[in-house]
Amino acid sequence: MLLELKDIHVHYGKIAAIKGISLQVEDGEIVSLIGANGAGKTTTLKTISGLRPLTSGQVLFNGQDISKMPGHKRVVAGIGQSPEGRGVFPGMTVQENLLMGAFTRKDALDADLAEVYELFPRLAERKSQFGGTMSGGEQQMIAIGRALMTKPKVLLLDEPSMGLAPMLIAQIFEIIKEINKRGTTVLLVEQNAQQALKLSHRAYVLETGRVVKSAPGPELLDDPQVRAAYLGGH
Amino acid sequence: MKGNGVTGNANPLRRVGALFDGARDWWERAKTWQRFVVYIGALVFALILPAPWIGTFMSPGADWTTVLIYPIGTYMLLAIGLNVVVGQAGLLDLGFVAFFAIGGYTLAYFATEHGWSYWPTVVFGIFLAAVSGVILGAPTLRLRGDYLAIVTLGFGEIIRITANNTDEIGGARGIPNIPHPTDMPAIGLDFGVLPAPYYYLMVAAIVVVIVFSVRLQKSRVGRAWAAIREDEDAAELMGVPTFKFKLLAFAIGAMIGGLAGGIYAGKAVFIEPGTFPFILSATILAAVVLGGAGNLPGVMLGAFVIAWLPERFREVEWLKEALGKDPAEYRILLFGGVLVLMMALRPEGLLPSRRRKAELHEGTGGMGAMGAEVAGPDTDVSTEAAK
Repeated sequence: MLLELKDIHVHYGKIAAIKGISLQVEDGEIVSLIGANGAGKTTTLKTISGLRPLTSGQVLFNGQDISKMPGHKRVVAGIGQSPEGRGVFPGMTVQENLLMGAFTRKDALDADLAEVYELFPRLAERKSQFGGTMSGGEQQMIAIGRALMTKPKVLLLDEPSMGLAPMLIAQIFEIIKEINKRGTTVLLVEQNAQQALKLSHRAYVLETGRVVKSAPGPELLDDPQVRAAYLGGH
Repeated sequence: MKGNGVTGNANPLRRVGALFDGARDWWERAKTWQRFVVYIGALVFALILPAPWIGTFMSPGADWTTVLIYPIGTYMLLAIGLNVVVGQAGLLDLGFVAFFAIGGYTLAYFATEHGWSYWPTVVFGIFLAAVSGVILGAPTLRLRGDYLAIVTLGFGEIIRITANNTDEIGGARGIPNIPHPTDMPAIGLDFGVLPAPYYYLMVAAIVVVIVFSVRLQKSRVGRAWAAIREDEDAAELMGVPTFKFKLLAFAIGAMIGGLAGGIYAGKAVFIEPGTFPFILSATILAAVVLGGAGNLPGVMLGAFVIAWLPERFREVEWLKEALGKDPAEYRILLFGGVLVLMMALRPEGLLPSRRRKAELHEGTGGMGAMGAEVAGPDTDVSTEAAK
């Protein structure tokens, strides 16, 4: 088991955003969290990466309890995240953004940098452009590439398709598949359930801070309840 | 985006702005030897600046060298210090004057009451300022944006009021007879009544602080600060220990403030709580923002303008005639008007860095927590619900 959440509860002030979520991510998987607005998908990711404190419960990574570990140390441990809204550093160039991902690393970066540019040729063309002046899709590429530069064991992706044109969405999902194929475990949060489920080995359906269903991705695609609620099916 | 609401190239301020931008772009491409020529030129300029023929225009009413030390030089030193906090790490500090006061009071107290000599006491003042920066930062740097600003504002006032109510350090009467810096016969500096040696001391301090600040900005620390300023959560996700680096920014800013306090007190001979009002914090912040937060030449230009304009307005002949009385009484009003005009025509500051422009363009305000986002128990829920 690479990553495991055991009955976590998270509060914003007095309001409970997550009311007891448990989930597991195995090494090499793509796992999706799908659900409507306010279901707690983003909060779950933020809790895993350490941006949000737990009220109760446990986060286990590689068998080790990291519930109290600060966020910047979880990066070193192997948790990389592309945050909601992308979080690109606007005043840094594309290359500087990618190098920020390697902030804690002391080993050679050339090979990894080359790999990111190979995955996202668009970024290679614009190395010296400011992050803030890139389009939404390009910023998403920066955010994913930057997270890859941390050399994560598990990559957390928060709505990578948000605000992108359909063509770009397909492209981004292709790249996620490729990243997974090369050996990185992926935990994906998506509102675009159709695409996410097609891609995922397993998925969890979240509703108001709880897991209401979990099954292999393709199975959920055919689930009548999920179809009605998230896939616009009848 | 600059010059909003003003049409055409006829606007002279816009032309001046374009000139500044051109100079900055040239600087970024300049070769090492070209840069050194500029450094040496700037230093020579600084050394001949007190010359009387410059003074007659710049400061007809008061002694130019004295004006150069306070307010101009002191403001520059303080602005460079505050720039570390506001411009580099993006933390809004409204109580920066507290560290200036701590540096000044440390020298005044230990030199007059315990007979410590000047330089060790100044160094001790810098140390105390850094410690108080950490003490202020440790509990408060978990706050963001407006909350941090309010707490730092309170801290500035606490220091001033504490000084006012503590008889051991002179209370409201302040501390007189603060010793001058130790003479330096080797380089011909005798610190007496004449202002010139203090001016050269100030220039030396500013040069040291600039070198220190630039080295930091180009280091790993500077990158961490830039990341925190631009997106604190993303910085944490890159493995930047954001809290530690914010604390470091506070401590380093405080040290520079403490140094300024020591130099000021050694020249002024007398300090009192009224020397360190809140308005001084606000003025230095105005200098940083007006000049272009994060860009050292801009910040220094901002400090110069903010320090010099009110002094110059005292002696404008046509104003004397137009107002029919002493324009000194109107100088702060005029000064405010000029500030409003400048920020309306050039909101990114007089000399912003290219990076700062990109940040502003992105709409986060480029001042990290100073932008718009205020995290709190309630706001978090609403933004969360929108996802």
